Amino acid sequence: MSQPGIYEISGSALLAQRQRLQTIASNLANANSITSAGGAPYRAREVVFRAVPASASDPSGPETVRVTGTVQSRAPFRQSYDPGSPFANKRGYVVGSNVSRVRQMTDLIDASRSYAANVAMLRQAQRIDQQIISGF
Amino acid sequence: MPHVQFLRYYGEALVLDAERARLVASNIANSDTPGYKARDIDFRNALQARLQDPARPPRVEYRQGLPVGLDGNDVSLPYESVAAARNARRTAATLKFLDQSTQGLIQALRPQSNGG
Repeated sequence: MSQPGIYEISGSALLAQRQRLQTIASNLANANSITSAGGAPYRAREVVFRAVPASASDPSGPETVRVTGTVQSRAPFRQSYDPGSPFANKRGYVVGSNVSRVRQMTDLIDASRSYAANVAMLRQAQRIDQQIISGF
Repeated sequence: MPHVQFLRYYGEALVLDAERARLVASNIANSDTPGYKARDIDFRNALQARLQDPARPPRVEYRQGLPVGLDGNDVSLPYESVAAARNARRTAATLKFLDQSTQGLIQALRPQSNGG
């Protein structure tokens, strides 16, 4: 059968989860970013996953994962009162990003768990393939 | 050749095992995809159907009774890991049986040194 195998399916998931990890890294790195008054502060990003049938002829069969885009969080920005800062606005507040560290950390744990599950699946597929080959 | 019918039996079982492994891989790959529903095939029914008509692709069914998350995804990673492990065991067993039962056949086909 010339269908895309486990390697393509789990491989697509590894790529997608890696992109998710990169987004989380970007969010955590910018959690403390601030902007000058009137500037656009950093918004937390999140990737969007979508299932794509592995073979076009079989829409009910196995599906690969694809990242279809990123969405930006609409949460309110963090404001801290610091009138001495050169970045403070007229009311004395410094506007920072809207990244929630707790949310990013739970997301990070979930992403690495999914990544590990896909790696385990790949290892198992490899073991089975080796058994098939050594049977001859 | 009716006496090599068992070869077809093992062949179909291995094809179904491979298809199941792909579906479980797809379930694990999509464990974070919104709206994805875990799927699998009923091995016993699919094997019967394939032995009667090998051209027909196995019927894919959705898993029932698993909790559905807020994003409409019902993949359970522990459940899928167990399914993957069980499927791998079965594939290994089928391969072993196939190997053992063909060894006798190959032995019989091999020309003997005493001219038999």
